[in-house]
Amino acid sequence: MKTDWKNIDIRTLAGLVSKTLKDKGIDTLLVGGACVSIYTKNRYLSSDLDYVTHSSIKDVTPALEEIGFFRDKSRHFIKEDCPFFIEFISPPPAIGSEPIKEVEHIRTRRGTISLFTPTDCVKDRLAAFYHWNDPQSLGQALMVAKAQKVNIKEIKRWSVKEGYKEKYEVFKDRLK
Amino acid sequence: MLESLFGNIVVEKILFFLNTYGEGYPLGMAKTFGVPVNRIQQQLKRLEEGGIVVSRLAGRVRLYTFNPRYPFLNELKAFISKAYEFLPEEKKEKYYRLRTRPRRAGKPS
Repeated sequence: MKTDWKNIDIRTLAGLVSKTLKDKGIDTLLVGGACVSIYTKNRYLSSDLDYVTHSSIKDVTPALEEIGFFRDKSRHFIKEDCPFFIEFISPPPAIGSEPIKEVEHIRTRRGTISLFTPTDCVKDRLAAFYHWNDPQSLGQALMVAKAQKVNIKEIKRWSVKEGYKEKYEVFKDRLK
Repeated sequence: MLESLFGNIVVEKILFFLNTYGEGYPLGMAKTFGVPVNRIQQQLKRLEEGGIVVSRLAGRVRLYTFNPRYPFLNELKAFISKAYEFLPEEKKEKYYRLRTRPRRAGKPS
């Protein structure tokens, strides 16, 4: 299947990258802003794909070179004619101090993406709002919570456990 | 003291520094410990790639702090705090009890 790299959308690219790595025995989890893009149908457009893997970056490198992504510096991969870059974040995948318990799988024409559930995606964005007062992250959390079915009770439980009950109320008020 | 665990002495110093002062920049840490700034930068880069620290620009200075989203942060800080108790008094005095309160600009030094 021919790939239009210049105009590729983030969901298709994530499917292609996930499959390319999976075919080499490398399991990945898509995290970060790319999940927001996918869950909001690009209302928020991330410029990168953040993956977490327990495999070595040395194993990832030749696999991604097969589809034209080359290691730029440290854990980044770029392809000249592709608008997105790929980054590998150090494991373990976590939301605050808790490990990921559930993973979402989305099938695309180019491969299956394993990614944060919508609820974990909201928590991930809220973590940036809680710790760094980042208003963009709050906005992204709201976008996902409005576009997808999320477990509000679970988000509240986690927020209180992380020590951010008051900031959770800000999120809850803006969600109304 | 923790060199064998962390692989080198500079990482140990950086972790004690951040645990004590909350944040730091490479040149400041290098001057405090009397080690070349590139060695500090090298280890900060490694810690940042591992998700243990994060950095942001404040003017022209890159400030480093512990990453509040690092899943083992509480445990790491508890460990560093415990190890700190075992440091010799003169090291604590020399490196980890520096002035951090504000100093008005223009005041004679």
